[in-house]
Amino acid sequence: MRSPRFGLAVPAWVWLALFFIAPIAMVVWFSFGYKPGIFGTHANDVLSFDRYAEAMSPTFFATFQNTLWVGILGTVLCLLIGGPVAYWMAVKAPPSRRGLLIALVMVPFWTNFLVRTLGWQVILSPEGWLSSLLQGMGVIDGPIDVLYTRTAVLIGVVYNYLPLMILPLYVAFDRVGTPLREASKDLGANGLRTFLQVTVPLARPGIIAGVLLVFIPLMGDYITATVLGGAQGNMIGQLVASQFGTAQNWALGSAMAVLLILVIMLTIAVAAGILWLISLPFRNRSRLVLGEAS
Amino acid sequence: MSDTRTRRRGPAVGDRILGIWSIVVYAFLFLPIIVIIMASFNSGRLLVAWDGFSFAPFAALVEKPVIRDAVMVSLRTGLIAALFAAVLGTLAGIAMARRPGKWVWWFLGLLLLVSVTPEIVDAVALLPWLVFLGQDLGLSMFNDGTVRLVVGHSLFSIAIVSYIVRARLVGLDAKLEEASADLYAPPVRTFLKVTLPLAMPAVLAGFLLSFTLSLDNTVVSAFVQVSGTTPWPVYVLSSLRSGLRPEIAAVSTVMLLLTLVSLALVALVLKRAGDSTTEIARTMAGG
Repeated sequence: MRSPRFGLAVPAWVWLALFFIAPIAMVVWFSFGYKPGIFGTHANDVLSFDRYAEAMSPTFFATFQNTLWVGILGTVLCLLIGGPVAYWMAVKAPPSRRGLLIALVMVPFWTNFLVRTLGWQVILSPEGWLSSLLQGMGVIDGPIDVLYTRTAVLIGVVYNYLPLMILPLYVAFDRVGTPLREASKDLGANGLRTFLQVTVPLARPGIIAGVLLVFIPLMGDYITATVLGGAQGNMIGQLVASQFGTAQNWALGSAMAVLLILVIMLTIAVAAGILWLISLPFRNRSRLVLGEAS
Repeated sequence: MSDTRTRRRGPAVGDRILGIWSIVVYAFLFLPIIVIIMASFNSGRLLVAWDGFSFAPFAALVEKPVIRDAVMVSLRTGLIAALFAAVLGTLAGIAMARRPGKWVWWFLGLLLLVSVTPEIVDAVALLPWLVFLGQDLGLSMFNDGTVRLVVGHSLFSIAIVSYIVRARLVGLDAKLEEASADLYAPPVRTFLKVTLPLAMPAVLAGFLLSFTLSLDNTVVSAFVQVSGTTPWPVYVLSSLRSGLRPEIAAVSTVMLLLTLVSLALVALVLKRAGDSTTEIARTMAGG
């Protein structure tokens, strides 16, 4: 007789059902309700999609657009900035130093998110040292005017989520391994061709992981936009938070939270579709080449 | 050999640009952290304006009861949440590795969902749910601040511990446990004497990561917290409006040191268990 080890997962199942699935189900339920009067937070005796319509009204729609813009641009910037670093760490840097180099990415990754963002508030502040330094060098005329704008939020999110891009990319590039790249070069491909036709295709799962790991939490970001964004750099996370906080409109807040998740899933689906369409011609060609070889 | 290799690797200029770019990005990654550490030694009243060098901000950790309490709440919650996540996550991880089946994919799917759901959604969902449990159903334990924080912090941590423990045990085959069973050890004894020790490095790493995650948790904490049990990050968030003082930077620096120590321990534990650098990086990036 073996011990019923399947049963060992039951506590975690129950716990997650109770404190993850049930609360989110409740939010979905609330999103079909309404706010009854000033003192109530939610009521569900009349069900409708009105809260969704309200959440998409012009007042809030701009924030949805802004979030999507910051989300996509931020993810692309993370990939463009972090990609070369991950490649350098995994391929070019001396292997004996890699542990240290990873540890150096880990430190900011595990530094308190809020504290890191506060650091940027200090740096970007008009009275800060960067402002006086740039003015002293004559780069800008007046104090820097970045804080509490969308640009500040963009700097903040790129900074905050960059390690989440670098780490999976590093793992992916490392997995490709030296032998395959050497083989590609032995067969006459130059560095760029090896990178594009061997390294990147093999590292694709890691690249996709990195993009998702950055894009999803970035879309739901609340702290960066709160600390650096002010009124101009609003994001959905803040809208949701304010409906549950000061506005005490749980029904509308719930609809916004559900919409946030839907927007994230839709964007990923669209991006996957576009990538698939782009890859079609290449796929046919590589099949052809393989066919000829055999 | 090395000659041909350097020649074949193409122009060294490209490599050099890549290296310089990486150094710039590393500087970028450390910039705000250095700024905060420096601000901890600012004798002025506001964090932003540099006045002079002083150790005074660190004294707040001892002298200001509000700050001291917030840090204590964070540490206490961190320990309880980490222990809790370690137990539930380890059990789930062992079950996934040693009793594989269709259910594992469902469970992994759930864990994936837990780890990708934006924190703000968890936060706003837990708030009404805990109010419902505590007030409508009269389960008064859910009105307790520490319980609420532990519940909020446990979700993501359970997922992390489960991943890590599963990954470790999947990598080790079950022969040892089978041998133990063949030698007539009762299942509980095999579990305690063989399976658990095998999983131990992963359990420890998961525990420490959960502790750090709990120390850092801001969004969920801000929503589920009850006044009287305000954890440190929520205190910082609330002082955004009243103006940031150097003592906030000082206490954050101390908390950062604590985080780094537990991360160094994670790396040490995993290294001793025979993980490669890449495997450690994977684990510490959250599975």
